[in-house]
Parts: sequence; C-alpha cells; structure tokens
Amino acid sequence: MSRTLISQAQLRRGRGRFLYWAVLAVVVAGFTLVFLGPLYWMVTGALKSGQEIAQTPPTLWPRDPQTQNYVDAWNNLDLAKLMFNTFYYAAGAVFFQLVFDTAAAYALSKLRPAFGNVILAAMLATLMIPAMVLIVPQYVTAIDLPIIHVNLLDSPWAIWLPLIANAFNIFLLKRFFDSIPEDLIAAAQVDGASPLRTLWSIILPMSRPILGVVSIFAVTAVWKDFLWPKLVMPSPETRTLSVGIYAFSGGTPQNVVIAASVIAAIPTVIIFLLFQRNIMSGLTTGSLKG
Amino acid sequence: MTAPGVTTQTVPAPAKPSGKAARRIKDNLTGHAFLIGAVVCFALFMWYPMIRGIVMSFQRTRRGETTWVGWDNYTRIVADPSFWIAWKNTFLFTILALVVGYVLPFFVAILLNEFRHAKGYLRILVYLPVMLPPASALFLFKYYAYDPSEAGLFNAILKFLHLPTSEWMQSPTMTIPAMVIASTWMNLGSAVLIYLASLQNIPGELYEAAELDGAGIWRRIWSVTIPQTRLILALLAMLQIVATMQLFIEPLILANGAGTQDSATSVAYLIYQHGFFQNDLNGAAALGVIMLIVLAAFSAVYVRLTTKQD
Amino acid sequence: MSVPQYRKAAALALVAGLGLSLTACSTKSDDDGGTDAAGKVTITVDCQPVGAQKELLANWNADVAEFQKQNPDITIKSVSVGEQCNNPPDFTARLAGGTMTDVFYGYMTDLQQVLDSGQAMDITQYATKDTIPTWDSVDPALKEVFTEEGKLYAVPVKNYSMGLVYNKALFKKAGLDPEAPPKTWAEVRAAAKKIAGTGGGVAGYSEYSAGNTGGWHFTALNYSQGGKILSEDGKKAEFNNAQGKQVLQNLKDMRYGDNSMGSRQLLQWGDLLTNAGAGKVGMFIGAPDATQAIVSQFQGKYEDWAMGPMPGQDGPAKGTLGGGEGYFFKKDLTGEQVKAGLKWIAYQKLTPGKGQLDYVRAKPQNYPVGLPQPLLFTNGSEAQKQELELRKANANVDTANFKAFEENPVPIVGEPRNAQAIYAVLDSAMSGVLTNPNANIDSLLKTAETKVNQLQAAGS
Repeated sequence: MSRTLISQAQLRRGRGRFLYWAVLAVVVAGFTLVFLGPLYWMVTGALKSGQEIAQTPPTLWPRDPQTQNYVDAWNNLDLAKLMFNTFYYAAGAVFFQLVFDTAAAYALSKLRPAFGNVILAAMLATLMIPAMVLIVPQYVTAIDLPIIHVNLLDSPWAIWLPLIANAFNIFLLKRFFDSIPEDLIAAAQVDGASPLRTLWSIILPMSRPILGVVSIFAVTAVWKDFLWPKLVMPSPETRTLSVGIYAFSGGTPQNVVIAASVIAAIPTVIIFLLFQRNIMSGLTTGSLKG
Repeated sequence: MTAPGVTTQTVPAPAKPSGKAARRIKDNLTGHAFLIGAVVCFALFMWYPMIRGIVMSFQRTRRGETTWVGWDNYTRIVADPSFWIAWKNTFLFTILALVVGYVLPFFVAILLNEFRHAKGYLRILVYLPVMLPPASALFLFKYYAYDPSEAGLFNAILKFLHLPTSEWMQSPTMTIPAMVIASTWMNLGSAVLIYLASLQNIPGELYEAAELDGAGIWRRIWSVTIPQTRLILALLAMLQIVATMQLFIEPLILANGAGTQDSATSVAYLIYQHGFFQNDLNGAAALGVIMLIVLAAFSAVYVRLTTKQD
Repeated sequence: MSVPQYRKAAALALVAGLGLSLTACSTKSDDDGGTDAAGKVTITVDCQPVGAQKELLANWNADVAEFQKQNPDITIKSVSVGEQCNNPPDFTARLAGGTMTDVFYGYMTDLQQVLDSGQAMDITQYATKDTIPTWDSVDPALKEVFTEEGKLYAVPVKNYSMGLVYNKALFKKAGLDPEAPPKTWAEVRAAAKKIAGTGGGVAGYSEYSAGNTGGWHFTALNYSQGGKILSEDGKKAEFNNAQGKQVLQNLKDMRYGDNSMGSRQLLQWGDLLTNAGAGKVGMFIGAPDATQAIVSQFQGKYEDWAMGPMPGQDGPAKGTLGGGEGYFFKKDLTGEQVKAGLKWIAYQKLTPGKGQLDYVRAKPQNYPVGLPQPLLFTNGSEAQKQELELRKANANVDTANFKAFEENPVPIVGEPRNAQAIYAVLDSAMSGVLTNPNANIDSLLKTAETKVNQLQAAGS
C-alpha cells in the first residue's frame, strides 16, 4: 500500500491509532445507515401491506410479510423482458462505442486525415450541450432520419446511434492514444502492417484500461438515461427497466413498484460485486489521472 | 500530469518517391474511413439536430403544415408564467447540487482512501444506490422517505429526535433541497469511484515532502491532493453542471411533475411539458435553443477561467 | 506494405464504419401494405390489455380469435401500449412519431390534437350499419364529439359521467348512513370531517393535484357549480370567477379548515386509487369504473364501494363531467382496412353480448357487471334494451350500490377543447390549494387564467 494523505506510521501510534479506529467505526456505522438503511427499508417495505405502509409510526419489520408483492412485480411488470432489454441495449452501446469511437479516436490521433482537427473541434463543441437541449430536434430526427426516411422508434438503434456521438469518449480515447509512442507504430508500418492491423495488434492491447473506462461509461449511460429511452421506446416490449418501472407506477400499488425495484437492482449488484476489482483498477489506470 | 495539448509528431510514413500525391490521398481516405462511423452519428444526432432545433423554433406545424412564424414561439415561451420559475428552480438546484453533490464525494473519497480496513465494504456501500435504476431510487424516496405524514421514514426519524417534521415535496421551500438530497444519494457513488481512482495515482512522496515541510492535513489536501487531481476536479465540475442543468426525472417522479405550484418545475421539465403535454414541439424547440444559448455563455466563461489558470 | 493489402484494410474499415451504420438504420420498414395477394386485410389495433390484467387479456385474445374465425379475410394484430392506454405524453409522442397503430385508442378530448398532428382519417363514409350493425343505436351526442366540420374521425366505445364514489365501510365506521350519500358540498365536508375523525390516517375526501388529473377534477368540480372552463368561442378561460373560487374554497376548507383530506397530496390517478384500495379514502369523485380499478388493480373490495350523484353547492349539481374513449383511424389506410377496423370495433365494443359487453363471460371474473356504464346507446334504442337486460341478468355487483347515482341524473357536460393542455395548467391551482395553507385562491386562478388564455391564443 502506497503512502496516502496521512502516513501509516502516524495511524499506528497511540492517539492516531485510537482516532483511526474511532473514525472508521463512525464511518462504517454511518455509511451502513445511510446507504444500506434505505435499501433495507425498500426490501422490507415491499413486503408490507398497503395498510401497514400508511401506519404511524412505521414498523421496522413487516408484521405479515406479503411475498405476493414480489411475485406480482415479477409477473405484472414483465421484469424479465425489461431486464433483457436494458442489458441488451447496454451491451450494444458498449460494442458500438468501442468500435466507432475507438476507430475515430485512432484516426484523429494517429492517421490524421485532412480536416481531422476541424472534425475534432466540431465534436468537442458538443461536449457542453446537454441532451435535454436537443431532445426535441433529436426526437423528430429519430422518427424520420434525413435522406433515408427511416423511423427508428422502438428500434435499439435509436439508443445505440446517438450514444456513438459521444465527444467525451472520443476525447478520452484520443488522449490515451496520443500517449502511445509513435516509434511503435512506425516500426509496425515498416513491418508492413496496415492501419487496421496496427490498431488491432498494437494500440488496442495497450489501451485495455481506457477501453474498460469507456465501457463502464457506456453501461452507466444506458442504465441512467431516462427521457430519451422513454421517448424513443414507446412500446411496453422495448422499454428499459427505469422507464418500464415508471410507466407501470401509475397503475400499480406502491408496494409492487418497490418490489419491482428491488428485483431490478439484483443483477446489477451481482455484476458489480463480481467485477468490482476490475472496474476499480480500470478507473485507476484508465488515464483518469490528474 | 501530462498536458492534453502536448502531442507527439507523426513520423511520415516511408513512401516510395513515385506517386506521393496518390499516396497522400490514399492515407486520407483510410483516415476518413476510420472516422466515418462516428462522423455519421455526430452529424445525425448532434450537428443536424442543432440546426434543425433552431429552424423549428421559428416554425409552427399545424395539421401537418409547417409555416414560418418569426419570434412567436419565443414570445409565447417567455410569457409563460412558469418560464422564470423554471429557470430559478434549475439554477437553485444546480448550485445546491454543486455545493453538496460535487464537494461531498471528494471528501468521501479522501476519507475512504485513508482507511486500511473495510475498504471494499465501504466502496460497495457508496456504490449501491448507483445500481438501482434511477426511477427505482426516486420511488424509494417518494413513497417512503418523503411521505408527508408521520408514517414517512424521514418524518418518523425527525419525530423520534423531537425535531420538527416536514411535508417534503409538498412544501414549496423543501422541494428543491429534497430533490438535491435524493439526487446526491443516488449519484454520489460514481463520483466517489472516479475520485478514488485519481487519488490512488498521487505519488506518496509528495505527501511525504509536504509533511516534512510541516504541512498539516488540511494544508496537504490543499497543496497536494487538489492540485494533483485538478484535471479530474475540473472535468467533473463541468459534467456535474451539465448534468444538473438537465434536472428532469427528479421532478417528474418525486413531485409528479410540476410539484406544488410549480415549485419543482425545471427548464427540462418545461421542455417536456410543452413538447409532449401541450402538443407544442416548436415551443419546446425554442426553449431548447434558449437553454443552448445560456449553456454556451456559461461554457465560454468556463473555458476562459480554466485556460487562464494554465 | 503491398497495395492490395492496404486497399483491403481500407475497404474493411469502410465496411465496418459505413456499412454498419447504414444497416443500422434500415431496420424498420413499413410492414403492412394492408392487403396481401390473397385479399387478406391486416390491421393493427392498440389498447390490448396488459399482462397484469389476466382475464381482460384472455377475453381480448379470445375475441380476436373468434372475430378472425367469423371474418377469415381479416387479421387483427394487437398492440399493448401500457396500463393506461392513453398516457398524454406517450400519446403525443406516438402521434408526433406516427407510430400509432392503424386503429388507435384516444380520449374524446383528443380529437383536436389528432387533427393537428395531421394523422387522422375521415371515416364518415365507412361508418354505417353495414360495418357497425348497432351504429344507428349509438348515441348521436357521442358521435358529435368525434365530428368536426361534418366529418367523423373516430368511433366512440366508452362513455362515462362522474359522481361521488364513497366507501360504505368507512361511512358505517364514522356513524354515517351508507345508503344516503351526501348531496351537497356542505354535506360532503361534514361527512369528510366525521370520516377523518375515525383516525388511522384516513382521508374523508380525497382529490387529485398532479399529472393532469388535478385539472381534470377541477373541471368536474367546476361543472358541479355550474361553471365553465372556456368561453363559448373557446378562446378565453372562464373559470376565474365565483364558481371557480368556490371550488377551491371548498377544497381549502376541507384540507386546512377541517384537516379531513389526509396529508398526502400531489396525487395522480394511481396514487388516489392505491390509497382507496388500502381503505384510506372515504369519498372522491369519479366514474363508476373507478371501483373496477380499485378492485382489479389496487387490491380493494367491491362490497365496500357505492356511488351517489355529483354533489352541488346548494342542492343537486348543475352539471357533471362526462367523457369517454374512442378509436381513431390512421390516415392513408385503405378502404378495406377501415372497414375491417370498424367491423372489429363493432364486434368487440358495440355488440351487446360480445366483447366488452359479453356479461355472461365477465360475470364469474373479477370484473364488475352491473355498473351504470358504458352509456353508449340512445335511450330506448334496441341495442340499449338488449344491453341493459343482459347487464341486469348477469350483474355480479350489488346494483343497489349505484342506485342513488342512477336515479338522480345530472346534466352531462363534455370536456373542454385542448383539454389535456388545460388540465396541466389547472394542476397547479389544485396543488396550490391542497399543499399551501396560505394559498391565495384569487392569484392561483389568475395565474391559471393567464396561462390558459395563452394556450388558446397559441393553439388557434
């Protein structure tokens, strides 16, 4: 373990040692309460009946656990379908962002075609434009793409294509590629490697951490987005989890909505627990350094 | 820190003396071939909609027929009594979210980085809310935490502590703070993870040296931690502002839309309301253009500030 | 590096870049030419019940199968659009995107919006006895709602009017007579106070204030006072007057004067019904089928609920809000498709003994038969007699519970033009009076009036 803000030695001695354990205890207790507490409330709240929810003061443990709420949530909201959609969109988003954004960043960093800088500037200019500003024109574009007149509603492309237009990812990737020495590439070219070959067998293997970061951002973007999928995925069959749960909330008892939320979180929690180490090390090495 | 502006020079590819021009054209073609996918998507979903949005804001479509209406959409949007309230709410939310949601995770990350025990556990805890679908996290707050009666979790706790209870989302003054709390809780984890990652890249010797110079903990944070993570701090500040300006799902779910007497209405919600409740896509596009101008002004200031420092 | 290899790589990259992004786009093509070579007509229809409504869904699917058997040259493709078939923002999104089904569901208030979108089809020449056998029995007033400039754009399939829905069990508990619902707002207030007095967080009277439902109910309450929402020419708001103020004053008195409306506000459709299903609501205004939603979706019981007429300020209500639903037709359908759609609607919605009016099938299911609804046919018409007989013979709810409502008819007033947009504005007045003890009723109505006037000016 490398040295951090406070030295190891200081924490091992007398007062420092006591303080360390005291602060740790407070933080562990506090964080458990703040972050796990509401989730406990959620899991048990979904087991309460409508009457019990409205009771004062609230009960800590459901008196008469209604497991039926979870069964209803699973069946009535068609959660399996919603989960599948969400993971499908996320997987596609990772794939297409990796393919197109990497290719673009590679071109801008190493191939540098004419007008490359102009294109890069035009891309970076969109960094400060929040999705909300363009939501209406983007929407009318998605329902009738210019020139080819195709309607993207209810098609996963409506989620994937706009995500490729991600200046932040291209910026991150380009910055990382910039730091890869030109000599390596020149050497490869002398050996007769094509640009694609160079990208595939020299650049990409060196770029694993940043590719990991881009993938994490892609998944998070799909997971967190709400209004865009709500607009472009209007059918119940194509909704994402977040939109689906919202859509059903209007005509479903509260307990069932909460039960659905609990179930929806389980796969992600498992995935995070499994890949926690990779995600952290990816973020650490992935050029996010100051 | 490697300055982003510094790039290495391309080594000219060894070329046969003959057909130099042909060669260059080919190189260019290859380069653009790699770019084309991203460029097409940018063109379709960023550059074109930007122009289309501006065009739409001066038009009106009725019964399938589109006509030019000059500034009509703008005057109508600005004359809406909710217009200024929405801006006020959005700015208030952005500032509060910046103070709480931006600074808090930085200190949480510093704290977590010091611990030698329970690291994994704490990290998972902080990240748990991020793993809920956003709608779910907000329903949790809406149904349980912010219930205005004493059956609500927050009110039960306040009552237990003999503190005054609140009506939360039903109280015009509490609406925005309540949205900030919920939003911070559900988003804190990602920022903490990113900060943690960048903290781990700070060389230990720097702290060592600062300590030898007699710098205390706060001094070390100020003179080592912050400068060393400056780029990430600046980046996240920008992302945070852009994200909070789009305040939408919080009012939609927590306040069932506008909240009590527009106390939760945000600019983004107003865009949605005009476009999809009032059947006025052109007005919504005009509001989008106004928001674009405000953000452009803001980013000009931002770029000015950050480049001056370097 | 050899040139061919180089070219191959570039081509590959091009294929990867361009090819993928192009195939990306060509996913959805218009799937229906309508009529295929064999002369079979295919139409898509929305508002299929969702999976949670198990029996309704089974009924619907059985209807489709039976209909297709009777009409072998027609294929019905059902689409479910969610628990609420018309959630205003989603409906708008579908209209803007042109992604409605060929035959699509809408509220009576949606005609203007559908016309504005340029997506509506004039079906005047097709809607006849040939396609809908009971067409001449359908109430002309309902057809009128879907007609503009002499052209018919939709077929009505449901019609309701509002009254006072109340919980008999809570009435008994509070010492009130469950057979004698309050008839005036003063009586409602007194009853609400008694019911809230029984404790346990029960709201004596409950009201909406979000998601457009607040404005919808403001309109209904205002009609009961004899008020209006828009002026005759539809250009100006006309609720900022004595009647409108009385509506808000009544609510304010109950909410803060007596504290008899519960502490949870900002309710929209499902929120109020959730509370009602949990036995926490004494009274609210609604249509007879609100009781159906309470039971089938929100875990309530039929025997608890009864209905009286809409209360008035000093005596019977001067009017009650009526509304309903219908099916529109997407423009550019072929004549064959329109006819097929009309036949399907006739079968599923407008034939006594079939589809939604198949009471024999519905009786053993957890859906009510015997509610004073859907009010589709003209009084005294043949279809109405048949429907009424079947309904009485198969009733599975105690029709006595709706007697007070049926025997005291109140004049029905339709919803204003541009209703959903106006309702969104009026939500704010409702939320103001229900969440702010110091709300100024005059300024709430003034703000709403300004906004509605703007809306109307922009819309015309």
